Amino acid sequence: MHDLIQHLLDFGNSLIHKPLFGLLLTLVVFQASLWFYNACGRRAFVHPVAVSSVTIAALLKFGDIPYREYVQANNLIYFLLGPTTVALAIPLYREFHHIRRLALPVLLTVLLGGIFAAASAVGIAWMMGANEQVLLSLAPKSVTTPIAIGIANNIGALTTLTTGVVVFTGVIGVLLSPVVFYLLQLHDPRAQGVVLGLNAHGVGTARSFELSATNGAFATLAMGLNGAFTALTLPYIVPLF
Amino acid sequence: MLKGIIVLLFFQLCGETLVALLHSPIPGPVAGMLLLWLALAIKGGPSKEVDEVSQGLIQYLSLFFLPAGVGLFFLPDSIQRYWPAVIAAMVAGTFVSMLFSGWLMKRLSGKNSSGSA
Repeated sequence: MHDLIQHLLDFGNSLIHKPLFGLLLTLVVFQASLWFYNACGRRAFVHPVAVSSVTIAALLKFGDIPYREYVQANNLIYFLLGPTTVALAIPLYREFHHIRRLALPVLLTVLLGGIFAAASAVGIAWMMGANEQVLLSLAPKSVTTPIAIGIANNIGALTTLTTGVVVFTGVIGVLLSPVVFYLLQLHDPRAQGVVLGLNAHGVGTARSFELSATNGAFATLAMGLNGAFTALTLPYIVPLF
Repeated sequence: MLKGIIVLLFFQLCGETLVALLHSPIPGPVAGMLLLWLALAIKGGPSKEVDEVSQGLIQYLSLFFLPAGVGLFFLPDSIQRYWPAVIAAMVAGTFVSMLFSGWLMKRLSGKNSSGSA
């Protein structure tokens, strides 16, 4: 009897270190968070990425599973970010007639707003005494993850810190968006999309698509433009300091 | 469904190839998105299969960021003393830059629609 229990424990212990477990953990926790999000009327403060990442981190720590092992198990999910980025061409194409009319304001907002996003993050952290590596890792915080990782490598930042900061910036941007829209009395879905895509990249864009197709298309545009602009300029700005 | 996946992966491959040839810092998927957008503009819209697969993927866009987000809870010890600075930069920095870009967007598009351009 004792042998049987020991055997089951060993089996359970080997199971949680298999890739299947890590992948299933992500999917199950995210699905549960989605239910919870919908049950709360899709309020920003119970955003599924926020709820699931805290839950998964707690479970990994509890089960003594190294983060590296978890990430390897979730390579498939990370891979899907690529074709999904390509797929964003479709809403962009559909809403292009809206975008053309507002091309100049969007372009200017993304240029100035993108600089402001990077500068404000680095400035605040600098005032609070962060070291150089942390400052560099914060600079690409509003850019979507695949671009941010490329930039982080180019400027010598800590990639794990950058990706974590980028994702949480997206979540925080979504959480703050109702407050920002209220304070500015910003009701135009096109402007809301630009603010979400520019400051909260893919996580903000996902939220925008929940609000409306036009909102999502403008978020996609702002996210893409900001990513391209930051990727092209930040590696040249950093050596100046 | 398969045809849709093939189209998306094909354009991603084209994007990756293009940025590798140009030594551009823009990631391959973003270049792939621009190429697909160009192809849609020439062809006049997506096929039903591409549209369905794309909608399915975009619906779960935020899920694909989840594994990277969990990483924030597993940072090296050397970084942990900078937690307050990192959190302040993320929360306060994002808040002021959202206010700034929203205000800018409102000003600029307001001017545009009143016909001064």
